[in-house]
Amino acid sequence: MDQYQKHIRNFSIIAHIDHGKSTLADRLLETTGLVARRDMKEQFLDNMDIERERGITIKLQTTRLHYRARDGEEYIFNLIDTPGHVDFTYEVSRSLAACEGAVLVVDATQGVEAQTLANVYLALDEDLEIVPVINKIDLTSADPDAAKAEIEDIIGIDASEAPLISAKEGINIEEVLESVIRTVPAPSGDPEGKLKALIFDSYYDNYKGVVIYARIFDGVVKAGDQIRLMNTKKKYEVTEVGVFAPGLTPVEQLRAGEVGYICASIKQVADARVGDTITLDNAPAETALPGYKKLQSMVYCGIYPAEGEKYENVRDALEKLQVNDAAFLFEQETSTALGFGFRCGFLGLLHMEIIVERLEREFDLGIVTTSPSVIYKVVMNDGSELMIQNPSNLPPQTQIHHIEEPLVKANIMIPKEYVGSIMEICQERRGVMTHMEYITENRVTLHYGIPLNEVIYDFFDALKSKTKGYGSLDYEMLRYERSNLVKLDILLNKELVDAFSMIVHESKAYARGRFVCEKLKDIIPMHQFEVPIQAAVGQKVIARETVRALRKDVLAKCYGGDISRKKKLLEKQKEGKKRMRQFGSVEVPQEAFTAVLKYDENK
Amino acid sequence: MKPLGLYIHIPFCKRKCNYCDFLSWGNTKKEDHTAYVEALLAELQYYADQDMLLDSVYIGGGTPSLLERDLILRIMEGVTGSFALSEDAEITIEANPGLLDLDKLMAYRRAGINRLSLGAQSLNDEILHFMGRIHKSNTFIDNFYLARDCGFENISADLIFAVPGQTVELWIDSLEKAISLGAEHISFYSLQIEEGTPFYGLWEKGAMKAVDDETDRRMYHEALKRLKNKGYVHYEISNAAMPGFESRHNLKYWSMEEYLGVGLGSHYYINGTRFSNETNLEKYLRISKGVKEGREVCNDPLSYLAPWVVWHHKNTEVDEISEFLFTGLRKIEGISLSAFEERFGKPVTAVYENAIGKHSRTGLLELNMKEDRLRLTAKGLDLFNQVLVDFV
Repeated sequence: MDQYQKHIRNFSIIAHIDHGKSTLADRLLETTGLVARRDMKEQFLDNMDIERERGITIKLQTTRLHYRARDGEEYIFNLIDTPGHVDFTYEVSRSLAACEGAVLVVDATQGVEAQTLANVYLALDEDLEIVPVINKIDLTSADPDAAKAEIEDIIGIDASEAPLISAKEGINIEEVLESVIRTVPAPSGDPEGKLKALIFDSYYDNYKGVVIYARIFDGVVKAGDQIRLMNTKKKYEVTEVGVFAPGLTPVEQLRAGEVGYICASIKQVADARVGDTITLDNAPAETALPGYKKLQSMVYCGIYPAEGEKYENVRDALEKLQVNDAAFLFEQETSTALGFGFRCGFLGLLHMEIIVERLEREFDLGIVTTSPSVIYKVVMNDGSELMIQNPSNLPPQTQIHHIEEPLVKANIMIPKEYVGSIMEICQERRGVMTHMEYITENRVTLHYGIPLNEVIYDFFDALKSKTKGYGSLDYEMLRYERSNLVKLDILLNKELVDAFSMIVHESKAYARGRFVCEKLKDIIPMHQFEVPIQAAVGQKVIARETVRALRKDVLAKCYGGDISRKKKLLEKQKEGKKRMRQFGSVEVPQEAFTAVLKYDENK
Repeated sequence: MKPLGLYIHIPFCKRKCNYCDFLSWGNTKKEDHTAYVEALLAELQYYADQDMLLDSVYIGGGTPSLLERDLILRIMEGVTGSFALSEDAEITIEANPGLLDLDKLMAYRRAGINRLSLGAQSLNDEILHFMGRIHKSNTFIDNFYLARDCGFENISADLIFAVPGQTVELWIDSLEKAISLGAEHISFYSLQIEEGTPFYGLWEKGAMKAVDDETDRRMYHEALKRLKNKGYVHYEISNAAMPGFESRHNLKYWSMEEYLGVGLGSHYYINGTRFSNETNLEKYLRISKGVKEGREVCNDPLSYLAPWVVWHHKNTEVDEISEFLFTGLRKIEGISLSAFEERFGKPVTAVYENAIGKHSRTGLLELNMKEDRLRLTAKGLDLFNQVLVDFV
């Protein structure tokens, strides 16, 4: 091991949402003097608004810290923060692969959660040393001993030495740093060897182009080097290398064992894929680093400009988002009901929600989203196979031999008192339990095989609602399975509105159809004529509601003093009409599209 | 110069009714009334040098008949002191049953008031009680005859239908009683549950259910049928009168003719501009006091703002046109195509080609070139807002 490597520690922090990962990261920054407390916004490392609001990290932020340890030596810490959601498992695994260790933060009041566990397993897969830390010991409900016992029981690592801290109150933060020095090994790797650097994140900068976050395993990289990305086989010239201090700080070179950034005039993040290996073009490594995977969209939906919003604005925003998000796909599509728009692919539901929210908030766009869908494998009578993610593209039933749908393995961790109600919602959603394990006396993990199209609908909301927020879920793709699926159409005033179409299991069609009809009945305003709302499978109507005809819409009085005021009321009514979507003769408020997807406690 | 209408607002009632959201207060003292009338007189006086001719005066509220006889007389003196009245001027006072007597009625007559608008609302005592009215059915009938005896030959009765708990039969019973009394003019309003009223509170809590639209319209159409059978002319959405007894004053509102308003919170429309007065009573009184003591400068209200004005808006051509339609289509006869073109220099069909086409096709609007009319159909009257959203 080279001398400089001895004082480097590369590590991540693993924690469940709300267990204090970001707060701890902030404290570490503060303790090492990088950011003065007064300059800190809460949770410095989570710098996207949506993340801040939801208290979860989506985008990685990586920081270099300097720390003078109790042994008198100065250490460099590369803190590689990881996203905290099930949709980003692959990104997490690549970030972990860039580290030698991981700090595991466990909430002293809640213990180990499903997502924590999933990430710990990912870390163990990468042979990382785990540094357990018990957080929130300042709370009266904290039970550090129970948390330690859970870590030992469930994960099987020694937690007796785990620092007891409060990130919020800044208690025992230095203990965490000392534990990292003791437990996490210094990086190894040969600076004289052929360059091997792992891309674990990237983002697009207007001036520098794509900024690659990389861990150098072997060799050295510096400005002017011709590099090659071993999986995509693309070549670039390095314009700048540097470290995160925490802002981008150029350095002369990055050596084996170090973590930093590389700029090479790359136009979009999709060209510098997470997991790819960077090597030198004139002296390439023989093999790439293991673990590279192409991202696979699991959830799709249509995104359309709302009434009064320009198609171009939506397209520009989607392009901007894609530059920074290699996992987000979109292409143009047309809906009879909604006109020109886009079919978008996401890693999962949360990923979809984040993109939609960013379009609405950061880009201030009015958009309409259609029901999320998974990719179905349609086997035709002639034996050919089609992959369909837009229900409108489903061929006529007569040509279809059968349809297969993606099945996921879902691990649901819940306090034991909720087992009954969660089994119920899983069963309602066609889940099949493979096994159930008591991870502690009070906590249970349910393992289910469940169709993804049930998970993306409202499963997460239902789980949270039934467990008062204590349930957690992670899932991974299992396989395609033949299933009895039908296309459920919605007709307004006898006309099909394609944007409402969805593919559902035959056993659910009736209930879902009725639910959508009822919702629409509440949302669609009265027209001058009766508006029948029908749910149909093929030619067969399976549910029907009617919006009664408007019989009266008149102001009884309008005298001298009323004219201005009543005219304003009419103008308001007119504004409301503008926000409606016209489908044939029927006007539908835009919120109808989201309302039919919402989890309803009473249904 | 075309004669103006004058509206005078009296913001006092004996008590506030459960459905009322007008600018008025119950339980006020006589001193308040006197002070208010003093202020009102200052505002009337303000217009003394304007050479304005009135052909309608409307004393409304609130409950003008709550005021002592002499206060009304002083108001009328103020009116005649400041304005010229045309010979056939329509002079209306709103009165509530239970607050009229021979003395008051005779005084009104002497002061030149020739039209009485009686707030009957219902001729069913339970409904009256539920609405928070102070009178009973018989009180109205007695007051009606008393007014007749005093020489009032133009009496209007205000009625409200679609009151929660009221059946179609109960409503028709009230209407027919008012008709049989021989009222020259009948206003019939569908109850609106307005925010801030006791009714709204009940409705919001779910303690009171609004009459459903089907029943509401049945009541309305039944009323129209009966009124027409008895010779009344249905001339505005909520108004019918024996021929020649249409309210001249109110027609000004629906024909975009000019009117002046005095008193707390009153509105007026002159020279294509809408004005509204101060609504805070104390401030209103203070302004009048200032005017009387010469501290407020008296300007020409036709080109400058009177000191009581708190809001005004000079209508653009688009405002003028849309208000012309918005008010004019409330009249059953609708608007005259030629009058529109004369006023705005272009045909209404050019301005609202799409809207007229759309609503003609759905049978809500009727464009009749031969009769020179654009008007709502019977169905269109029920769905007035649906049509007019495309005209504002």
